[in-house]
Amino acid sequence: MSAAPANRPVCVADDVDLLDVAEAIAADWAALGVRGSFLARHIDTGEQLGFAVDEPVPLASVVKVPLALVALDRIAAGKLDAAQPVFVDPSTSSVGPTGLAAFRHPATVAVGDLLHLMLSVSDNAAADALLDLVPVVDVDARLRAWGCSGIRMRHRLNRMYECAAGAAGKDFSLALELAIRDDHSGRHTIETLDPEHANLGSAAALVDLLRRVWQDDIAHPEATAELRRLMGRQVFTQRLASELRADTLRLHGKTGTFLHLRHEIGVVEAAGGDRVAMAALTRSDRRANLAPDIDLAIGTSARHAFEALRR
Amino acid sequence: MDLLAHLEAYVAAVDEASFSRAAERLGIAQPLLSRRIKTLEEHFDGQLFDRSRRQVTTTELGHLLLPYAQDVLDRAQRLGHVARSARQSAVHGVGVPADCGPAALARVIRAGAERGITFGVQELPPDEREAGLADTSLAYALVRVPPEHAALRVPLGLASAPPPAPEGACADRPEVRQRTRRRAIHLEDLRPPRGSGATRGRPAAVPLLTMIEDQVPFAQDRLRRAVARAGLPEGTVRPAGPMATALAEMLAGQVTLLCTEPFARRHGANWAPLGDASLHRGYDAGAARRRGDEANVPDWLAALLAAAVGAAATAPTTAPDAAGEDAPSRLAARG
Repeated sequence: MSAAPANRPVCVADDVDLLDVAEAIAADWAALGVRGSFLARHIDTGEQLGFAVDEPVPLASVVKVPLALVALDRIAAGKLDAAQPVFVDPSTSSVGPTGLAAFRHPATVAVGDLLHLMLSVSDNAAADALLDLVPVVDVDARLRAWGCSGIRMRHRLNRMYECAAGAAGKDFSLALELAIRDDHSGRHTIETLDPEHANLGSAAALVDLLRRVWQDDIAHPEATAELRRLMGRQVFTQRLASELRADTLRLHGKTGTFLHLRHEIGVVEAAGGDRVAMAALTRSDRRANLAPDIDLAIGTSARHAFEALRR
Repeated sequence: MDLLAHLEAYVAAVDEASFSRAAERLGIAQPLLSRRIKTLEEHFDGQLFDRSRRQVTTTELGHLLLPYAQDVLDRAQRLGHVARSARQSAVHGVGVPADCGPAALARVIRAGAERGITFGVQELPPDEREAGLADTSLAYALVRVPPEHAALRVPLGLASAPPPAPEGACADRPEVRQRTRRRAIHLEDLRPPRGSGATRGRPAAVPLLTMIEDQVPFAQDRLRRAVARAGLPEGTVRPAGPMATALAEMLAGQVTLLCTEPFARRHGANWAPLGDASLHRGYDAGAARRRGDEANVPDWLAALLAAAVGAAATAPTTAPDAAGEDAPSRLAARG
């Protein structure tokens, strides 16, 4: 990735008012030192606004959405049993702060519940347990077959931990430092941040995937319905949802966080019927684990975009 | 033989035309004076005085050598003068931070003068002080080091605008509410609270300006990292630029200034220390190496410099560590 364009990203919008919103969001991000892409599209009218929408970005946990769709499609096709028990042993499972990845004792969980853990709390161990059943190459091939050309699945989730720990030992600050430095130099010491090797996606490709899932225009309808249900169960609300929390609104989202990456994709549904698919994929030079103002900026962007796009 | 002392005895004896008066003038015993003159006569291999009469008289040789002896003594005296004035006029450069109090620096200069040393106090940024010691253009300097390794520790804190003086002050209510302890400032307290005035955009965190003295790479890096970890945006910390402008902005309540307590007080600002002592200043008093000698800062000077820079007798601090970071899961994809 030829580093983020430090100058203004190219905005796309369907009319001049939407262009204003896109430019305001881009300016807001730039003021906070956030680089990246943003796209919001009304699923039914097709109107959209955003910037840098075709830039391929390492997906971090956002890749769990296409992974889930492929697995759910297999279940719908009868090739995989949602009730099949899977044994997960903490001594060999993937590293992560939540779900099975944080378990300290062996557990047996059904495939359908692995999907729930993977999407609700971004469970890395659940995701990699699913990848034992649906290999990485099969997921990638399935995405090709569906025409999701802007999304690549190339490695398991734990590969991110292995690469970061491999480059920086146990030192989170150092790993973060390397990620930020490499982002500017374009030479990546952490392989899962290198667009040549990472799980990749662009805002445009991800929003298109969400649109197809919401319009049953991809995979088996049972699979898309279950994916919509599971994405509605996400517990994290600090990003896209942060300014959209109301009983009349619902966000079906999936975050992605790895070192300096802070992403989320999702669909905002209003009780009145408006449905807006969004992708916010960000990088920053912030040398901190938590950046609440960046999370909040993503939320503010989502709200502005939703209000501008709804009918 | 101490030639000068012997010549002195000889010249005095000629002047006074009497050994006893000469001895008196030089403040030595007459036998010593007689012995010196005798030694000198042996040295020159000839009598300088005729002692055969009751009154001692100068011989021809004694008269001949006198102007030369006088000349040697005069020159020796000049040599001494030159050495003394050279010692007094040699200026010893002392490199100090730009924010020291003038009164404290005056004490440094005065203490030097009392010891016959002339100090040239120079306000310099940290890197120039270090360079000045290395090239010996400074004799002494305060050198920035991380506070946990420092001999002198100077608490840093945030200076902010003083509250407006209440009408009719509290003259009749003397110190009704006295503070029991001073509260430290924690960087995460500077985050603007969410939800207040969130009509258009977010309320920005109050900028924190740093002085040239704190624009040392390791200190800057530490501060920036601490600020990021406290959840504040990058732009929160910036260099102060011209000090008068920075002070004016601070006193007008638009920014806060990272500085020492004496500096803040001199400018009538409120001040509270940063809770994280690893962000405070650390100094070692250093002396230039001259001709390969290990040079030390005299204790009296080190004490005065410590006072000038506002060093506190605080407990040793520890370097910032990554305690509480629940590695390894932070290295994994999270959420």
